This record gives sequence, C-alpha cells and structure tokens, in this order.
Amino acid sequence: MKPNLLIIFFLLNFYISKSQSIINTVHNMSVSGFGDIKSSNESEICIFCHTTHQSDPKTPMWNRNTKGVSYILYNSSTLTATAGQPDGSSILCLSCHDGTIAPGNIKSRKSEIDFGMSKRSFKSSKSNLTTDLSDDHIISIMYNSSLAFSDGQIKEPSSLNSGVKLENEKIQCTSCHNPHKNTYEKFLVASTKYSELCLNCHNRNYWETSIHNTSQAKWNNKGTSPWKDSKYITVSENACENCHTAHNASSEEYLLLSKTEESNCFSCHNGNVDSKNIQQQINKPYSHNVYGYYLNHKPNENLPVTDKHVECQDCHNPHSSKTNKADAPYLNGANFGTTGIDINGNEVKTAVYEYEICFKCHADSPNKSNNNISRQIDQTNVRLEFNTSNPSYHPIASSGKNPTISGLIYPMNESSIIYCTSCHASNGENSPAGPHGSIYPNIMKYNYSTTDNTPESYNSYELCYKCHDRNTIIYGETNNFQKLVHKKHIVDLKTPCSVCHDPHGISYLQGNSTNNSGLINFDINVVSPSNGNLKYEKTGNYRGSCYLTCHGKTHNPKSYN
Amino acid sequence: MKKFTFTLTVILIFLFNQGFSQLATSAHDFTNGDAWNTNTSNKMCGVCHTPHNANTSVAEAPLWNHALSAVATYTLYGTGSATLDATINQPSSVSKLCLACHDGTVALDNGPLSNATMIGTVSASSNVGTDLSGDHPISFTYNDALATADGGLHPTTTTVSGMGGMINADMLFGAGNDQMECSSCHDVHNSANIAGLLLKTNTNSELCLTCHDK
Repeated sequence: MKPNLLIIFFLLNFYISKSQSIINTVHNMSVSGFGDIKSSNESEICIFCHTTHQSDPKTPMWNRNTKGVSYILYNSSTLTATAGQPDGSSILCLSCHDGTIAPGNIKSRKSEIDFGMSKRSFKSSKSNLTTDLSDDHIISIMYNSSLAFSDGQIKEPSSLNSGVKLENEKIQCTSCHNPHKNTYEKFLVASTKYSELCLNCHNRNYWETSIHNTSQAKWNNKGTSPWKDSKYITVSENACENCHTAHNASSEEYLLLSKTEESNCFSCHNGNVDSKNIQQQINKPYSHNVYGYYLNHKPNENLPVTDKHVECQDCHNPHSSKTNKADAPYLNGANFGTTGIDINGNEVKTAVYEYEICFKCHADSPNKSNNNISRQIDQTNVRLEFNTSNPSYHPIASSGKNPTISGLIYPMNESSIIYCTSCHASNGENSPAGPHGSIYPNIMKYNYSTTDNTPESYNSYELCYKCHDRNTIIYGETNNFQKLVHKKHIVDLKTPCSVCHDPHGISYLQGNSTNNSGLINFDINVVSPSNGNLKYEKTGNYRGSCYLTCHGKTHNPKSYN
Repeated sequence: MKKFTFTLTVILIFLFNQGFSQLATSAHDFTNGDAWNTNTSNKMCGVCHTPHNANTSVAEAPLWNHALSAVATYTLYGTGSATLDATINQPSSVSKLCLACHDGTVALDNGPLSNATMIGTVSASSNVGTDLSGDHPISFTYNDALATADGGLHPTTTTVSGMGGMINADMLFGAGNDQMECSSCHDVHNSANIAGLLLKTNTNSELCLTCHDK
C-alpha cells in the first residue's frame, strides 16, 4: 500500500509541476508545443526567447531579433504618467506580439526555425497587439510614489503585493504577465475575478462600495451577452472588465470594450442584466441623447461644460455608483461620485446635491438652447433661476419663498425640497428614475401642455397636478383667488399654467418680489403690454393686480382680491 | 609492476569507455592536425592536462596544463536585470580553466609544457570574450536559499538532475556543491556526446529546465 501511495504522490507531483510549467503553455513553441503557433522541427523550448551565450539584450539572455519598430502609444485625457516608446522586457514581448517578426527568427540559429506556413503568425488573434498600442494598457511608464500622488487613483507602488511586479520601477508587460507560467489564464500573475489583478494598482475612489463591484446580477440570456469574452457570470465577478479591457480596446482612449461609451453601459442597462432598461428611455423622442456624442465627456473636464455634449458619465460615475435612494436635494446613489457646480457657480469635485450635476451644463455653459417659451424675463441659466435669493423659485436648492401654498398634495408642504428630476424624468410610472428620455418635450415626467387654448383636463397639466391638487387650485374654496384666477384662466379661457408661471424661478437679478412672486413671468407670445405696462403687482397674500393684454382682454389693471 | 600495468590498463579502458571515447571527433578533439597544436606526444589531452608539474593556481584544477587568462575583471551578467537574485562573481574555479581558451586572450597552444608558439585562438562562435554580460551567469552561489528567494529556480538539494543524483551533486561545484560554473552545463570531455558539449540533452530544453522552474 505504501509504495502505491508513493507512486501516486510522485505522479501527482509530476502532474502539478508540469501543469504549471511553460511546457504545457502556448509559449512552448517547440515541436512539442501546445499552441497553434509551433515549430515543425525545433525541440528546444527556451530557445525561442533565450540563449545562454551572446544574448541581446543581455538580460534576460535574449535571443530574439528586434526590428526597432516605432509604436503608436496609448494616451488619454486622464493619463498622468509620461508615456515613451516601449522599453525593458516589453520590447522583448513585442518581438513576437507586435506581429512583425516571425517567431522562429532568433539570434542563436543561422537560419529561421521552421514553423510551417500555417503556424508562424498570429493572424487576427487577440495576441497580436500590432504596432498600434493606443488600444492597449500603457506600458514602460515610471510607476513611483510621485505618480501615485499626482494621479490619486492608483496605489502607492510599495503596496503592490506579490502579484504585480514592477521592473526597475516601471510598468511593463511582465507586470501583469508571467510568460513562463500560466497559473491564471493569459499568463496573468493574478486572477481577473473581481478584477483582483487590476486592483493591485488601480484605486478608484469609492469602488469598494460601488454597485459595479458588488452586484450579483446576471445576464438573463436575452440578446447579446455583455460578457461574451469572459468566463465570469456576474457584474461583481467581471468588475473592471464589465467595461474595460487591457488589450485591443474598441475605444482606444479609456480602453473601453465597446467603441462608444453608451454601448458599454447599454450592454447591461438594456434590461438584460439590470432589469431597468435605460436604453429604452434614451431611445424616446426627447432624451439626453448620449448617442449624439462620441467620448466627448472627459472625467477631468473643466466646468462648467463648454463643449456641448452628454454622455452617461456626465451624470453617472460607473466607478462609484450605488443604489441607495436619498431625499432631495441630496443626490441618489446612482449619481454618486460625479462632479458638479454648486448654487453659487463654484465647481465641486464630488457633487452632494443632485442639481449640482444639472448645473454643469444647464447653468453657466455657453451655447445653450433658447427657452421654449419666450418670457418677459428671459433667463437660460438654470442656476440663476433657482437662486435662493430669488423672489420665487421651485424649491430645488432650498425651501420656497411662498409660506402659504394652497393645494399642495401630502407629503408636500411649503418647506419641501424637490429634485430637478421630480419634473424632468422619463415618463411612465415604472420607468427608471432620472431624466433619461420621455415622450414629452423637455424630458418631462408627465404631460405639461404649454400651448395656448388647451382645454383643461387632468392630463393637460398632469405634471403640475402631481403636486398641486387640481381641485383645490381650480375650485378651491379657501379664497376667491383660486376661482377668480385659476378657474377663469385655466378652465374657462383655456390658458396653460405656463402662460403666467415660469416654473424654474425668476432671478433676483432681473425680477423682484412685487412683480415676480409666485413664479409670475409672462409668456409674451400670449400676453402683451397694455398702455405700455406688462406686469403683475402683488398687493398681499393671494391679492394682486395685472397690467396687461391677454386673449384680447385688457387688464389695466385687473385686481384680484 | 605487472599488477600496476594491469591496473593502469583497466583504468584506461574504463576512462576510454566512460568518456574519452566521446572526446574523439568532438570540438575538444585537438588531434585533427590543427596547425597550432604543436604538442607532439599528447595531442588529445596535453593541451589541457599534464601528469606532472601541473598548474595548481586554480582550485579543483585537474592536473592543469594550459596557461590561464590574465584577465582579472570580466564584465559580468546582470546589469539592469530586474529579476536576478543571485550575486554574480568574477569567474572562478573550473570556469577559469574554460576561459583560459574561451575568453580569446590566450593562445590555444599556450601550455607551459608545450613550447607555445602563440598561434591559434578559439573560433568566433566559441569566443565568449571578456564581456560575459551577454552570457549565462557563472561563478555564483546557487543553493536552496537562492531558489526560494527567486521563485523561478528549483531547489538544488531535492531536485533530480536527470543524471543520477540531485542538481547540487551532479551539476554544481565548490566545497559546498553550490557554485554554478561553465561545467554545470558543459562537459568538456563530451561524455554525453551532445552538440555544444552539453552535460545532458537539451531536447525540450531539458537542460535549462533542470534548474529553471519555468
């Protein structure tokens, strides 16, 4: 019995040692090799890369000829390292993997080792990096403490564990790959599960708690698998490689799997991994149309945004997104980790309030669209419209100015704060939150008619009626004002809410509390001056006078008491 | 005397069968009429060995006859290597005997008993020169501790060499059987009859992979 056990032990030991050896890998290109690319007659294994005498470069006893190719280098807007031409051992790897040199072309043999015609090149394999390295993870860069400090998103190199190794302080191919051992696939030095390999160096803010790190969601087997080149089946397992790849990346910059950034998102956010179908929302007629731009968002772009664009990453940071729900004005987890502009116009590195994300583009940016409605006081800077010094505004940045709003539907009250996305969001009761896309103009969550002579119905002004109770506003008995003003104008004269009210707010720089309380700012396509006057004058709580001409009637003034 | 002759004959036959049979016609067979080999009485062995008055300046030198290289400082392997864990020393021990011809600084016929005429140097392909930085390192301590530190080498005391014993006994030199030298890979007498005077076959890179755990 004992000798048998001993034999088994030795066989097992032999098997284990061989299975971790270069002999059983595709880097054994000898006639005994395992890959598609192998010699037809050469018996030595090491010889394709190493020689014991007259090597060049001398370390590590290199035996391959090189061509001195000039490579196209990786670059990105967020790259802090200085990239140069490949050097060190990377040059050695590229002497096969750039596809320009036959594998049998070595120094220690006078003539090229024969590979047979069908087995001497990579063809279109992923192993052929080509001489264009702009779509590959950067190599041959100094990775030291000062880089870690200036970048802020990579670890201190002294913290590298036994997996990833630097070569004379530089990242080289051999930092991630061990050409001699294929313990993990692709000769990697650590597992790619949960992106363990990447996280040796990369230290994205908030990644630990990010849903893309923790989600156990799986593909529902409909449509195209988001992980067709991966052996992992959950978001968490795929981690970085849900979106990124280290080689032959479709996008080049940022090393994304798909060429356009939204395709990376929609491969999961189409209802097939995440049950919420964001892609369907974006396809609606009014949307934040991320299809219209190609990698225009730069994670480190200057704010406010000056080159008009919208990408998923403008509002979402896929490295930090979470699923927690917050209360207005605090942003939800889905938007966590994005940059913003605060109510005073200052850039914030990590937005706290949701509106700060909107303000990146809808406030101080140039080349904004004109307002759909021409108003007496025109303002396209949304940040100014919601300034808390304004005479009136919807309560985005703080509670509103009106202490007695009749008809607010519980739990709304005068001190409530709402989101921009309370009104601007995908339509449909079961649609995912956020202003992705809507069938209504301006990405309204509900219908909001602004056309004059619209017959009043719940549907016509559903957006407003969601918070402002229709019955109270139109027929409310609390005071005459509701009947005199709202019923008369909205129901009888078919005047939309938007003719008198400017829902965002009126900047204190342009308006005042006498004329512009209660969001009064007239639609001048409907309302015109009378005797040179076009104004509302507040004379008290639910009391005021209008000086204007509207629907052929002249108010000069018309007082409501 | 008869007994001595018999014993000598047995020893010679033994040696001939074991090794020298392969030396003939190998690259180290100097009997093939090379002009530089002026040794008249002992062309086969006399270039390197002498039975008397041998050069004993090199430890482990086996009845050495050839003049040694005067080079004291060779350029060593390892500059810039990020993976070398051994400390490479100037060539010592038996490697100095090899370099007596193969560094190209000493005439092949420069043996103290051979009336050197200072002609003949090794061919270019066999001339490693005095810059050894492009050659596999020699004259360094290779023991279990190095194997552990490096992670890419087999331990020497527990790994079979394929030649009967463990690496340390079969391939390493010095009092501690822990010195890697030229003769760790090469058998100058061509016992195994392998091109390049290798110690054992390098088919499937077996020689390399004896020590290298790759």
